Amino acid sequence: MNKSHLASRLAPRPGNRMVDEPEAEQQKERPDCSESRNLALSLVRRGVDAWGLERVSVVPGGLGEVQSAIMAGDRLTRDAGSPDSRLVLVGISRSGRALSSGTPVLDSVLQFNFITNKAIADYLLANGFNSALEHFQKEAGMPQEVEKKFSGLLEKRWTSVIRLQKKVMDLESKLSEVEEEVNNGAPTRDRRSPGEWIPRPPERYILNGHRSPITRVVFHPRFNVMVSCSEDATIKVWDYETGDYERTLKGHTDSVQDAAFDATGKTLVSCSADMTIKLWDFNGYECIKTMYGHDHNVSSVTFLPSGDFVVSSSRDKTIKMWEVATGYCVKTYTGHREWVRMVRVYQDGSLLASCSNDQTVRVWVTATKECKAELREHEHVVECIAWAPDSAQPAINEAAGSESKSPKRSGPFLMSGSRDKTMKMWDVSVGTCLFTLMGHDNWIRDLVFHPGGKYILSASDDKTIRVWDTQNKRNHKTLQAHPHFVTSIDMHRNSPFVITGSVDMSVKVWECR
Amino acid sequence: MSTRAAEPHPVEDIHGDGRWMSMHKHFLHDAKEKEPEVVLIGDSLIRNVVWSPIWKRMFEPLHCLNLGVGGDRTEHVLWRVLNGELDQIEPKVIVLMVGTNNHGDTAEQVTAGIMAIVKAILDKQPSSYLIVMGLLPRGEHPNPLREKHTTVNQQLSNQLANTPMTTFLHVDDQDFFLPGPKGGDPVTAANGVIPRELMYDFLHLSMDEGYQKLCDPLLEEIQNCLGTFVKVESTSFDTGSMSEDAAVEKCELETCREIKFRPFADIEGPHQLLL
Repeated sequence: MNKSHLASRLAPRPGNRMVDEPEAEQQKERPDCSESRNLALSLVRRGVDAWGLERVSVVPGGLGEVQSAIMAGDRLTRDAGSPDSRLVLVGISRSGRALSSGTPVLDSVLQFNFITNKAIADYLLANGFNSALEHFQKEAGMPQEVEKKFSGLLEKRWTSVIRLQKKVMDLESKLSEVEEEVNNGAPTRDRRSPGEWIPRPPERYILNGHRSPITRVVFHPRFNVMVSCSEDATIKVWDYETGDYERTLKGHTDSVQDAAFDATGKTLVSCSADMTIKLWDFNGYECIKTMYGHDHNVSSVTFLPSGDFVVSSSRDKTIKMWEVATGYCVKTYTGHREWVRMVRVYQDGSLLASCSNDQTVRVWVTATKECKAELREHEHVVECIAWAPDSAQPAINEAAGSESKSPKRSGPFLMSGSRDKTMKMWDVSVGTCLFTLMGHDNWIRDLVFHPGGKYILSASDDKTIRVWDTQNKRNHKTLQAHPHFVTSIDMHRNSPFVITGSVDMSVKVWECR
Repeated sequence: MSTRAAEPHPVEDIHGDGRWMSMHKHFLHDAKEKEPEVVLIGDSLIRNVVWSPIWKRMFEPLHCLNLGVGGDRTEHVLWRVLNGELDQIEPKVIVLMVGTNNHGDTAEQVTAGIMAIVKAILDKQPSSYLIVMGLLPRGEHPNPLREKHTTVNQQLSNQLANTPMTTFLHVDDQDFFLPGPKGGDPVTAANGVIPRELMYDFLHLSMDEGYQKLCDPLLEEIQNCLGTFVKVESTSFDTGSMSEDAAVEKCELETCREIKFRPFADIEGPHQLLL
């Protein structure tokens, strides 16, 4: 142990410490305190200071008042000749926590001082600081002989303090972790209903493997797998529960733009900038059909509920319907004036919704190819759309603020997200925008309804994913999801998982709580 | 040779590896697939900005596409503009910076070359804002090339003054010079010495400080044109400062552990020690 180091520690350093004076009012109550207070202050300067407290307060008052009280002044009062035994010293560490075991142990404190003095004397003797020892003994009022039983005690104490200090720090860090959990409101899953489960940071897995930006992530409806589409022209299959890579589907020759499963999960359909649509047997992972017909980049594809047909949208401004059995194009929906970004089928299959670079959202009657509605309010390219599930209807009605007298809206409801950084909820039956959600700081790239119906999740080029409280039209939670644009998001219908894909070429799996 | 700078011409493949043409083909593909709102086109000074931290932080969120090729002269950029690089896109803002590589051309020829590109861009993208960047000073000490650039910049400034949708943006040469001593000894600043911290080879800009000088005014102009402003990165900076706080706190605790007694933490200690 460095001797001069220790010596400097033992020297009074009043300048470094803050000594709190007792409150004036409290003094008034106990006028006889002043002498013992002086004594306490001198003790603070001499002894307590050497113990290395950041801040020491002398508090006249009952121990009960000051829970963090350390020691009360039996010795103080005796020395000061004061009948008042209610002086309390409170030590506060640099991190702002009161240092206390909760109950002051007077005897042990007194004994402690006594022992400390003896131990210091032993230390000085052992190291040959004889004149310092002499002065110290004089000042501390100790007998001349140094008892053997205190030999080495100071060093032991030193190490024990460090050991305990480490323990305190470990506990403190554990505490701060728990505090963070509490502050961030991350309760365990069983304490919340599944309808309240939302993705929580940090992500459970980061799945790397694609060599270009991710364009779409989609959950399998049955198995514990998901697929990711990428500009590297491949589709990759991942186990989202274990984070394992399963395999790669190769066949497209340009950026894969979108993919979708049929209801059984046996067939996967994908589309690409190579202008083709491919059907994949998801048991053997074989491409079973390639459909040609679009004249440009195919931006989006999805199954009809029956699984017999797929619909696709393209940069050639059209939407096409394809028969799965034959691979033939059976219908073409025309009307958009620009690149059609996404097409999605209403739950019962009767309607299609599409969005486009022409800044509109259109709703089509599937059977007749008739354009039922043209929803025009966005001020930039509309990137994504999603039909609201039935479970979302109460929250949407609440948010739309329909008065209790008027009949409730029954939709269908459609949500759209745009490069104008807004999301809009549309009542398709009347063709009006019910409300707009604002908060993202860049293009909105994808959105998905929470299966519970209370929330909407969105992915954006501002690198975040956001959870929106539908009923209150509020940004409920923001997650810094990726270091680059977040291009896609999906939420599992039954399991508590959300997946995201990004231009950073990674896929992330988020657990919901 | 007199009008070479203003005549479209692909780079002659003197090395024989066809890199330049490969770059051009990739740019055509990018232009077809990406939907940039901002396009930067020019020489290495444009190309290299993608390696600077400013690119990731400030340019990427604006959906920028970089069509810079190292070593390009005005005639090469002109050829690329006329051969499809701006055909498939609808950018809101185009940034042009080229001319420093036009060795052997007079100031008038360089200006004519840049003006030819400006005309070509305006023909291709009449509804885009065009920002033409002035030529930067080069060389550690004042030299004839710097004087040529000053002349080019003056001519550009005059000729572009009345061009619609077009801004001439020139960063003052003084910004790149070693500052004079405090209190302002104008002689030192007037010496015009360029420090390596800003231009590591006295031509190209250093990734942080150098590009900062160029990009601060450029980003302001781009965002003025777009009418939107990048919200300065929530992610990296917040977490950065948070971890910094944590580090400081940890450091404090470490210090605490090193130099502090905590007598009350082991209030039962003396008894145990006695045993």
